[in-house]
Amino acid sequence: MQSLLSKFFRAKSFRFIVVFFLTLVAAIALSGSLSHAQLPQQIPQAGGETTIFDRTSHGLQQPAANLTAAELTLHQDGDSTFEAVFVSAPAPVHAGLGATFNNTSCTACHINDGRGLPVKGNLLVRVSMPVSHPIAASQPVAAGGSNKYTSSIFELAQGSRGCWGRSHRPLHQPCRSRLRRTLESQPQASVTLGNVPPVPGLGTQIQDQALFGHQPKATVEISWQETSGTYGDGTAYRLRSPRLKITLPEGKPLPPQVLTSPRVPPPITGRGLLEAIPEPTLLALADPQDKNQDGISGRPNYVWDVQKKAKVLGRFGLKANNPHLLQQNATAFINDMGVTNPLFPDKDGSSYIDIATLKAVTFYTQTVGVPARTLLDDPLVQHGEKLFSQANCAACHISQLRTGDHPLKAVAYQSIHPYTDLLLHDMGPGLADGRPDFEASETEWRTPPLWGLGLTKTILPSAGYLHDGRARTLEEAILWHGGEAESAKQAFRAWAKSDREALLRFLTSL
Amino acid sequence: MKILSRTGCGGGNLRELWRLRLHAPLWGVVKRMKTKSGGTINNSKLFVALTALLLASVCNRDGGFAATPPLSLREHAPRATSVVLATNSATFNNRQILSDFADKVVIPTFQTFTGKASALSTAINAFTQHPNRQTLQAARTAWVEARSPWEQSECFGFGPVKDGGFDGNLDTWPIDENDIKQILASGDKLTSSYVEGLRESDKGFHVIEYLLFGTSGSKQPSDFTSRELEFLKLLGANFAQTAGDMTDSWVKGTKDGNPAYREVIATAGVKDNTTYPTLRSAAQEMIGGMLDSLDEVANSKIAKPFDKKDPNLAESRFSFNTLNDLKSNIRGSQNVYLGHFQPANTNGLGLTTFVAKVDPNLDAKVKQQFQAALEALNKIPAPFEKSALVPQNASTIKAAEDAVNTLHDTLDKEVKPLIGGAS
Ligand code: HEC
Ligand code: HEC
Repeated sequence: MQSLLSKFFRAKSFRFIVVFFLTLVAAIALSGSLSHAQLPQQIPQAGGETTIFDRTSHGLQQPAANLTAAELTLHQDGDSTFEAVFVSAPAPVHAGLGATFNNTSCTACHINDGRGLPVKGNLLVRVSMPVSHPIAASQPVAAGGSNKYTSSIFELAQGSRGCWGRSHRPLHQPCRSRLRRTLESQPQASVTLGNVPPVPGLGTQIQDQALFGHQPKATVEISWQETSGTYGDGTAYRLRSPRLKITLPEGKPLPPQVLTSPRVPPPITGRGLLEAIPEPTLLALADPQDKNQDGISGRPNYVWDVQKKAKVLGRFGLKANNPHLLQQNATAFINDMGVTNPLFPDKDGSSYIDIATLKAVTFYTQTVGVPARTLLDDPLVQHGEKLFSQANCAACHISQLRTGDHPLKAVAYQSIHPYTDLLLHDMGPGLADGRPDFEASETEWRTPPLWGLGLTKTILPSAGYLHDGRARTLEEAILWHGGEAESAKQAFRAWAKSDREALLRFLTSL
Repeated sequence: MKILSRTGCGGGNLRELWRLRLHAPLWGVVKRMKTKSGGTINNSKLFVALTALLLASVCNRDGGFAATPPLSLREHAPRATSVVLATNSATFNNRQILSDFADKVVIPTFQTFTGKASALSTAINAFTQHPNRQTLQAARTAWVEARSPWEQSECFGFGPVKDGGFDGNLDTWPIDENDIKQILASGDKLTSSYVEGLRESDKGFHVIEYLLFGTSGSKQPSDFTSRELEFLKLLGANFAQTAGDMTDSWVKGTKDGNPAYREVIATAGVKDNTTYPTLRSAAQEMIGGMLDSLDEVANSKIAKPFDKKDPNLAESRFSFNTLNDLKSNIRGSQNVYLGHFQPANTNGLGLTTFVAKVDPNLDAKVKQQFQAALEALNKIPAPFEKSALVPQNASTIKAAEDAVNTLHDTLDKEVKPLIGGAS
């Protein structure tokens, strides 16, 4: 050391080296300030270390970038189940579908792990009785929310032609005492805590498809009603909203007192990260009394955890009606596909998929990586990003959060850019479904994450936005905002065309 | 490796230099100067070289935690760095590769498929009118022939193919055998709208296959009930109709008003195209489709029946056509890479054009690996439904799986980054 140092100081080029390092320091400082001067913001790694780089139709379905080899294998196992098309039992592969269901695979609804379309097979309708209704009041409510079997039927759904319900009978054998059989044997998870009493004969979700020889619970026809409006600058726009025509077996209409909520499948990308956001973080974002008087009063939903048998914070589903991915996926199996599983087994406790399969699929939904943003050096995008904050969009669509502890390391302690607060917001009468969901009211929806939004139409050219897919464009999605988001919407309406375009371009860069 | 692309940090140039690995020659200059002068350093040159080197490395470290690959969106925003960028031959800016992908690969493949689908429907009609050995054989052959272009299209089953539900209606796997048996046993009136209304698992390729070939490979013309013939005929017509609609979605646009997808691909990077906001994102789509299909071939279509020794997991198990399906899948990706579709004699620019220019060795490697994958599949004895169960074939099958995975990894780890712009 000694000799090295002395050599150094004795070197002929000592003066040069001093100059060199001084210049170097100056250069680094300069380069830093230069890049900061030209970087309006830190470049966001949308999903922290899970972030993947793919702006194609496969961009929402890539494994998180930070999985270990063993985790990647489990992810792929789960992916196989996510993509598996289920069929009626008995069958050599993927048995256990139905008897009634909405679709036959997870991926048929969450297309390429993105959203689904507002069409039969994708859009599903949640239903319930109003709490005050006499039928609801006389019903034993599924308090505790354990696996509730659709247990009683009344004139609503009577008189089906075919056999209902899961039937283990040999093929070709006519079904006996079909009504009774149906009622007792079609498991459905109606996890509720009192304010969404299941509709007798339907439960809390309409399964509008059935195996051959079985009757769908009802048929759902969607038609669109158009309205028009104008921007501040006089430019006209048109909006559409769905009208549902729901018909019970035998052609009977759904009684008007039944509350309905149409929902299209949302993307599942990055959901593990959302699961890992610490509860205190979300509660700190909530402002139910609007104490800061910004007109925005997000609040958490509290929902039933069927394993813990307790009320817990809701995060998943369009009204934050599910506590975590395991339960979300287990209800998807039982309700969306009619596939019994360990959380919602058949009456005798058996189920078509085992806990390992359910966990693998859950692991899969936890480990889909988030795509990095694109068009970052597009000045229009940069301008749009500023406008997004200016209009206070970011008050609900929170642009930066940090995840906390999670059993799965890959999603723990990540800085992420989800553009959501996972809280419920009153979005006004225009978007109201009129059906509460746990503590969510008839006008409240969970702020959807916006990461990956720009890939929506790359995956599905006719995909729509918002809970029922009504918005054909991002522009329409914003124009539907009301309630707590009314002033954000009005800001957008009032802007010049060039500003509106900048905001939209920013959204497509996500 | 994702590196920040910015005009900062030395106007972006040094970053680009680093990315292009020009730091290596710079370092070489430093070393050479040292040795040349026998230890006496030419101060001014060393100063310049070291500064450049260190600054470049600082810039790179910066970029290490940032998100954007360099050069994104030059199509939109030419800027001061373009002088440096112009020297970077890896900028994907070849629009013709994209339009040829649509015009010389996708559309001819779909059109050929539509032709074969109609031929299948016609052959089924002939069989149902005169059920005998010849007409049955002709219908089975027509099924196998329709399968070839379809499986070659697997790597471009995105966009309208998903959107219109074409994929699900044409090729859902597995089929719901119980449903089909009950449909046949029922008294339901069979009409074209009835078939159209059936679930995806009750129609398409594999239901037609199931009925035409039977489950044991020994179905005779006399085994067909009249109801089966009636059902088959309707399934064939529905299939041909769906194939035509799918092709239209690329050529003309869809019934619900979406533009021809050909245009969407060919106008990638043009201002209003939000589907593919850069030329690169569309080129990446071509690669993504190949990767998806190759992964499925190796790790699902081969691996599942083979690992579980279960022929029920083989794709076309009623016709024993699985091995052909697999080869067609590989050929489909090869078509995208080479920019042609030989059955229709179309030939255009493929990704090969771009890769060969930037890295001829890589291009040769990819071409060789396509060849190797096909040869490895050729070594598997047909039918795969049986050979997958025979222990002596294990190494041959494993070798095929590996060959496809090797090709996949080359495309994923070497070709994909070359195109860049994945964000
Ligand atoms: C019939 C279409 C359909 C099927 C099939 C389906 N889902 Fe969903 N999925 C939905 C809808 C609609 C929602 C929103 C539900 C709500 O708001 O209650 C949803 C929500 C989700 C969510 C929560 C996403 C979020 O943002 O909170 C996950 C995760 C999910 N589904 C996973 C699955 C898995 C796993 C399967 C297969 C086992 C599956 N889904 C099958 C339609 C479907
Ligand atoms: C008060 C909270 C709030 C504010 C403020 C807000 N949003 Fe939203 N946003 C929501 C909620 C809740 C939804 C879901 C509504 C639904 O599905 O019916 C939503 C939906 C969206 C969607 C559709 C997402 C999808 O996946 O379909 C977009 C796009 C969007 N918002 C953009 C914006 C923009 C841009 C602004 C500012 C002009 C904004 N939002 C302001 C709460 C808010």
